Amino acid sequence: MSFVIRPAHRSDLAAIMALETDCFKNDAWSTEMVAGELAAANTRYFVLVEEGPEATESAPVLGYAGLSHYVGREDADVQTIAVKAELRGKGQGRALMQKLLETAARAGASNVFLEVRADNKTAQQLYSSLGFKHIDTRKHYYQPDDVDAWVMQLEITPLSSEPLVLGIESSCDETGIGIVRGNTLLANVISSSMELHARFGGVVPEVAARAHLEALQPTLHKALREAQVALEDIDAIAVTNGPGLAGALMVGVGAAKALAVALDRPIYAVNHLVGHVGVDVLERGEIKTPTIALLVSGGHTSLLLVNDLLDDVQLLGETIDDAAGEAFDKIARILGLKYPGGPEIDKAAAGGNPKAIRFPRGLTLPKDMQKHRYDFSFSGLKTAVARWVEVAQDSGQEFSIADVAASFREAVADVLVSKAINACLDHNVKNLLLGGGVVANARLRELAIEKCAQHNIELRIPTLGLCTDNGAMIAALGSQLIQAGRKPSQITFGADSTLSVTHVQTLE
Amino acid sequence: MTNLLSIDTTNGTSVAVHHDGVLVASVHHDSGMKHAELIGSSIQQVLGEANLKPKDLTAVAIGRGPGLFTGLRVGIAAAIIFAEAIEKPLYGVISLDAIALGVYQNEPAGLPLLVHTDARRGEVNWRVYVGLDRYGIPKPVTEAAVGKFDAVVHQTQSIHGSIRVETGGATAALVGQLADLQLKSGTASKDSSALYLRAPDAALPKPNQIFGKRVSS
Repeated sequence: MSFVIRPAHRSDLAAIMALETDCFKNDAWSTEMVAGELAAANTRYFVLVEEGPEATESAPVLGYAGLSHYVGREDADVQTIAVKAELRGKGQGRALMQKLLETAARAGASNVFLEVRADNKTAQQLYSSLGFKHIDTRKHYYQPDDVDAWVMQLEITPLSSEPLVLGIESSCDETGIGIVRGNTLLANVISSSMELHARFGGVVPEVAARAHLEALQPTLHKALREAQVALEDIDAIAVTNGPGLAGALMVGVGAAKALAVALDRPIYAVNHLVGHVGVDVLERGEIKTPTIALLVSGGHTSLLLVNDLLDDVQLLGETIDDAAGEAFDKIARILGLKYPGGPEIDKAAAGGNPKAIRFPRGLTLPKDMQKHRYDFSFSGLKTAVARWVEVAQDSGQEFSIADVAASFREAVADVLVSKAINACLDHNVKNLLLGGGVVANARLRELAIEKCAQHNIELRIPTLGLCTDNGAMIAALGSQLIQAGRKPSQITFGADSTLSVTHVQTLE
Repeated sequence: MTNLLSIDTTNGTSVAVHHDGVLVASVHHDSGMKHAELIGSSIQQVLGEANLKPKDLTAVAIGRGPGLFTGLRVGIAAAIIFAEAIEKPLYGVISLDAIALGVYQNEPAGLPLLVHTDARRGEVNWRVYVGLDRYGIPKPVTEAAVGKFDAVVHQTQSIHGSIRVETGGATAALVGQLADLQLKSGTASKDSSALYLRAPDAALPKPNQIFGKRVSS
């Protein structure tokens, strides 16, 4: 018979209780206490089960052990350890303890403490053989048996208090692999399939998914070279599991899970949109909250209220039809410009008069503002520009493409910035963060800077390489979760193309 | 001594381990969905059953398709990155060849064999074989292709006369067995790219397309 130690799940509770009451008799923990321990953010519990097909399901628990460690602290505590009577003396307790010590070292602890009954010589011998020293005695600690507790301590070498996290992003047309240590960016490599989509005038999901598969390995190699680390050094994997194109997401999820299993490292399934917000730690060392986040790309146009990056992200509004980036692409085509439309329209708009044509601002009329105060709509704008161009062409009159481009761009920037500022004012939030590829747009940045200054709002625009879809933001969000002591995701999570922003991490 | 991890996601999610060519662990989820959910735990499960650590593996084999693209890619992505992480070679096999191997194991050679799998849209993925070579590897006489079933059967009969027609699903157990035979015969391929038999569906836009209703002039 061989055994395996794996992280404990909530579903193990009953099996753990069976063991707990069997092993500890008079001073066993209650079901509520054990459930609380399993669920606590500062604990990591492991179970010993027989190896086999049920190892990952709910098999009988033959041993269990837990560690408590608060992020940033030097000390960690062994909460409990138990091994089924008939398996004692066979090295299983030692294996569980070693798992706890490894976990403590990975979490950055340099001291591990435990208490053991003064009359339990077998356990004391095990701990001594692992290097624990008897440093104190607590009188009458174990009741009702009235037995003293030995306090034992072991000094360990923390592996690194700053986790080295590799992030994989594949939600749209960019294969991104980023590597961060704590809040420090080490590598951010992006392989874009944009050129393959150019002739279609927009992202084709199947083309994007094929490109991700081909880009995975070279992008990974490049990221490891850039960060000057080996795969073996990575402490944890983070991966985008939504929202995005399902087929594209699944390539990243498949790769990330294989990496986690091959390296035996924890995996964190994280939210793409929240990643765009979390990326700011790489440049500022922290996220200033509360903040409003305006995320604008070819796939998203979303306005978020972020009270807490990991625990309280709300979607205030989003586009009800096209994303802003799509609108740029479509208008570029109408004007005979290339794909992607954003930079082309920026170029064409240079020298144009943004007030030449008053194009509609979607969902800004009073009746729309009641229902869609923070939502966006760009399909009406698109049609208005198309008709304007058509009428102009049919009438045979010369018209200025620069004026059309500048007026269109103004309409988009105006509605995006106005609604973001409204959100800040309505919620009394003094921070605005921009994210997404459309942030590259010169007029959008200019207008955001101007309006934020007017309203005394602090504006954050990450550098462009961190604004577009990238793996570094996913690694950064994973790193935040780890540093906050969050548990890894279970290996069974899926890709969710419509994942809500309220799900910062998908646990299972 | 070889410990080969094999993955095939052309239909279900299938993972297996062969020790010196002998199947020692396998898991096969039949569902044509949930590949992304199942791939990680399936690998963990077979490694547990085989009592191996990732680093104990000596190679990885992947079924390259043809199959439904979305699921297929999950397996290939996992295989590429797994092999990379354990620093071991990755070998690709054509999943239809693995099915043919299974067919021949149930009923050895005989008539030329047409193997086909569902390719959706009223078409099948197919390939024709004429028995096994001396290593026990199915001998294909066509490339893997996609087409209408009736037309494929008709065409194959017109060339080979009487034929045997079989369908089935690839499994990692068969993929691993085939890769093992190919390694022994020196014909194993390091090509792990997805075998797509169709181009992506995407319509090219009309130049300067105007949206909405035309406005009369």
